[in-house]
Amino acid sequence: MATTLVPSASAGLVQAPVLRRPPRRRVGTVGRILGYAAMIVAAAAVLLPFYWMVISSLKTNNTVFTAPIQWVPEVFQWHNYVDIFTRAEMTTWLKNTLLLSVVVTFLQVLTGSFAAYGFSKVHFRGRDALFLVYVGTIAVPWQAYMIPQFILFSKLHLSNTLWAIIALQAFGAFGVFLMRQFYETVPEELSEAARLDGLSEYGIWRRIMLPLSVPALASLALLTFVNTWNDYLGPLLYLRDRDLWTIQLGLRTFVTQYNTEFALIMTGSVLSVLPVAIIFMLGQRYFVQGIATTGIKG
Amino acid sequence: MSIEVLLDRRQQAVRRRGRLRRHNALVGWSFILPNFVGFAILTLLPVLALFFLAFTGWNAFGNAPWVGSDNFTRMISDRLFHEALYNTVYYTAFHIPLTFAASLGLALLLNRKLRGVAFFRTAAFFPYITSIVAIAVVWNMLFSPEFGPINQFLQALGVSDPPGWTSSTDWSMPAVIIVATWREMGYYMLLFLAGLQTIPADLYEAARVDGAGAWQRFWNVTLPGLRPTTFFVTVMLMIGSFKIFDLILVMTNGGPGTSTVVLSQFIYRKAFVENQFGYASAASIVLFLICITVTVVQFLVNKRREA
Amino acid sequence: MKRSTLTAIGIAAAASLALAGCGGDSPPAEPDEPDTTMEAPEPVTLTMSGWSLNVTPEFRALADGFHAENPDVTVEIVQYADGNDYDTQIIPDLAAGTAPDILVLKSLNKLWTFQSGGQLLDVSDVAAELSDDVSGVDRYEIDGVTWAIPYRQDSWVLYYNKDLFDAAGVDYPDGTWTWDEYAAAAEVLTAGVSAQGAKGTYQHSWQSIVQGPALAQTPGADLLSGDYGYLKPYYERALAMQNAGAQETYGTVTTSSLTYAAQFGTQKTAMLPMGSWYIATILQQQASGEADDFEWGIAPIPQFDDSTTGSDNVPVTWGDPTGAGINPAIDEAKLDAAKRFLAWLAGEGGATVLAGLGVTPALSNDVVTDTFFALAGLPTDELSKWAFTTHDTRPENPVSAETATVQGILNDAHSAIMSGSVAVDDAIAEAETRVASEAGIG
Repeated sequence: MATTLVPSASAGLVQAPVLRRPPRRRVGTVGRILGYAAMIVAAAAVLLPFYWMVISSLKTNNTVFTAPIQWVPEVFQWHNYVDIFTRAEMTTWLKNTLLLSVVVTFLQVLTGSFAAYGFSKVHFRGRDALFLVYVGTIAVPWQAYMIPQFILFSKLHLSNTLWAIIALQAFGAFGVFLMRQFYETVPEELSEAARLDGLSEYGIWRRIMLPLSVPALASLALLTFVNTWNDYLGPLLYLRDRDLWTIQLGLRTFVTQYNTEFALIMTGSVLSVLPVAIIFMLGQRYFVQGIATTGIKG
Repeated sequence: MSIEVLLDRRQQAVRRRGRLRRHNALVGWSFILPNFVGFAILTLLPVLALFFLAFTGWNAFGNAPWVGSDNFTRMISDRLFHEALYNTVYYTAFHIPLTFAASLGLALLLNRKLRGVAFFRTAAFFPYITSIVAIAVVWNMLFSPEFGPINQFLQALGVSDPPGWTSSTDWSMPAVIIVATWREMGYYMLLFLAGLQTIPADLYEAARVDGAGAWQRFWNVTLPGLRPTTFFVTVMLMIGSFKIFDLILVMTNGGPGTSTVVLSQFIYRKAFVENQFGYASAASIVLFLICITVTVVQFLVNKRREA
Repeated sequence: MKRSTLTAIGIAAAASLALAGCGGDSPPAEPDEPDTTMEAPEPVTLTMSGWSLNVTPEFRALADGFHAENPDVTVEIVQYADGNDYDTQIIPDLAAGTAPDILVLKSLNKLWTFQSGGQLLDVSDVAAELSDDVSGVDRYEIDGVTWAIPYRQDSWVLYYNKDLFDAAGVDYPDGTWTWDEYAAAAEVLTAGVSAQGAKGTYQHSWQSIVQGPALAQTPGADLLSGDYGYLKPYYERALAMQNAGAQETYGTVTTSSLTYAAQFGTQKTAMLPMGSWYIATILQQQASGEADDFEWGIAPIPQFDDSTTGSDNVPVTWGDPTGAGINPAIDEAKLDAAKRFLAWLAGEGGATVLAGLGVTPALSNDVVTDTFFALAGLPTDELSKWAFTTHDTRPENPVSAETATVQGILNDAHSAIMSGSVAVDDAIAEAETRVASEAGIG
């Protein structure tokens, strides 16, 4: 259990009238600039493949792959970004992908955090064994059981509907595992106090656990969203009709064994990455949220 | 007090405990049920079918003729399986510590209120959300022995015979490990960031007041506080490493030769290319057993540390 | 849950799934005679699997073509993914019983799998009625029974860029080349065209390019024998060309993800050994401007030795047909229409539709050839026409249970050799050992 007892030193701090500031390390401006420069170089290195995707999306198909690589296109094919919408049903794909990602994320976060509370804060026989079964299924590669699962889904008439993907992803073990670990960091004393106050277990979950685990919930939401957004094999198996396709599936129609329209694929891929990146950037404050001291004093 | 009263009190206590246990079980199950119902029907059932299929010679269409443990004995003498197992362990042994260190380091570095830190965090996360095809293509180009910038850089440093990377059987796995680490460090960085938020700031304050340096603060405050997250990250890293598939498929497809064939790929090949689903299921069971054993060990170690 | 309960559930689940997948185990009995007393045929809709419909127009064209001649039958194309994903999709569909009526066998490798899994109907009666000019029918025969009908037959030829040949001052291929002569020409060409940033020839990364001719042309070569010494001279030649700079190295091809269409289309190579499927692509790319506007031709693929070169002989090349079979789960009432469709596919009706799209049909006769060469952009010289029509196409993938395993092992050997990581002899020896242990051959 993470320790939460407030050390006595802080009591000493409160009593002393003069607040001692902890000595600040002197980091010169030069050091700061160098540090930033290093980080910018690292960021550039990390973003290189994305840069390649962008420039490829602005080339013609036959100039995407050359030896040596052309880092700046000769002629910018801006029309690719229009073509992807007119020649292919990018709007349908976007719509489907968005719908699936949002629904799956919502369900995973909800049922996952709900179940995680049971695995973490409630004690009953067989709890840990069942939890290991959950984690165990993560250890089985999906290709191995995807056909028995497909047969099952077909019998349940889920195949070739968006429900198949929702059913596939929304009840995964990953969310349960992640949230359980975060609930472990919440001290037992909090729940005890709440129970004494008369809150039911469900109340504790809603009023105490959820607000405290916002970074974990945000991380789970983002990761689930990204995984569903980028999922290829699931939609490949279960979304056959053209109007059900997701972006990853739709882009692959530009691939044939004999001729691949790489430029358009890259255009679609760039458009596919942007929403996720924007969500991540704008949602930063949910991931990195300082938690106020948990108020155990007294 | 008379014996009867004592016995009676004891019986009441037992009944109360029994009732409490039942109550706890009911409450616990009520929490788990929504997720569990979906999980059991849609995931657990096919996985159990897999366990059954491992003992058959199923080819996806017809019957599943029972072959007992033939699949497993076949694996013992299957050179490709040995190669796949070796490659997977090789990959895991390097990938886990590298990714763990990189993601934890990034999380610690980017946990502060620097200017533009949101941008840097997004940059670190970008590799994970970028199309894996793009990643494979670009890294292959970077690693190109003739034209790639990496080898050109190495040659500029004076290395006379730079490695062949993805077109050499010796260096293809290191290349894959580098790319996989680069790709996943943002993912685990995110988890570590969330975990770092659960450590109360006044613990750091107190440690600083007590005179602890940065390293001591890290060792005595951060690491213990991160233990549940660390457990999660190491389990997911381990399972993920053993199951690695997509990246290798698009980057090297197991080649050159069989230098990057890993277990998941072996399973895929046997199942979808050679149509031996029973055999592939058996290999999956082996993969599962390895993962679950290590997970259980980690679980027990973690539990003991917590107590 | 108790362990015994779990086990019971697991077995029940698996058993029910296995039984469910049992659906297409044995093909239904054939109808004795087609019902000849029917006056007006009932309208029938057949479903057929196809892929990448927006860039592979042949499926819709075939469906429309058949419907024009047989208004009572509509063929609906069910869209599948291309490449390996086609198998990834159709196998689960067959397992779950939701596959279409007409199954296209994208790669011959899968014939054995489908047939032994009971997923194809006996179509020997259709095969018996086909014209002798249809090649590849015997490829779909197992145990004397024909299980699918070929409608398309691709084979490998040598494409060459006439403009680059002129620039280098080298004579065009004339149908008499052996592989050694091809290699020599490639080196001379490279010297002549390197100023334009091109190379003499381009060898794509596939195992087919080296192993295909080795298997087809070497007398006595047998893929399933477990003896792969016949590959050695072909690999040595390929490595020599690579080292001499006459073609891009395998490492460059894979790490730069080069594509043969881009290389030939943007004139980075003077020669390109490739399958006849490329014709449709280059026509379309030259028309759209994606490929440069240059003169090109087709020559027969280089030969093993002089015994098969020249216009008096038939050049030996390799390739596998693409065929279609019938799903045993098909409705009895539709069976007759399905068989009529297959016969039409392999007959002149289907062949002319395909030829009009630049696709090489299985049927080869004058009508087909004329339709094909009427396409705008095709080379009209005699050699090209001859190369297209005259060839002895040998199988690339013999039909057997072990082919897929063997080809996988040989593919590993291919990448090991061409990347320069393993010596040719060692790689071949390793492959032979693996085939013996993993496929039980030799």
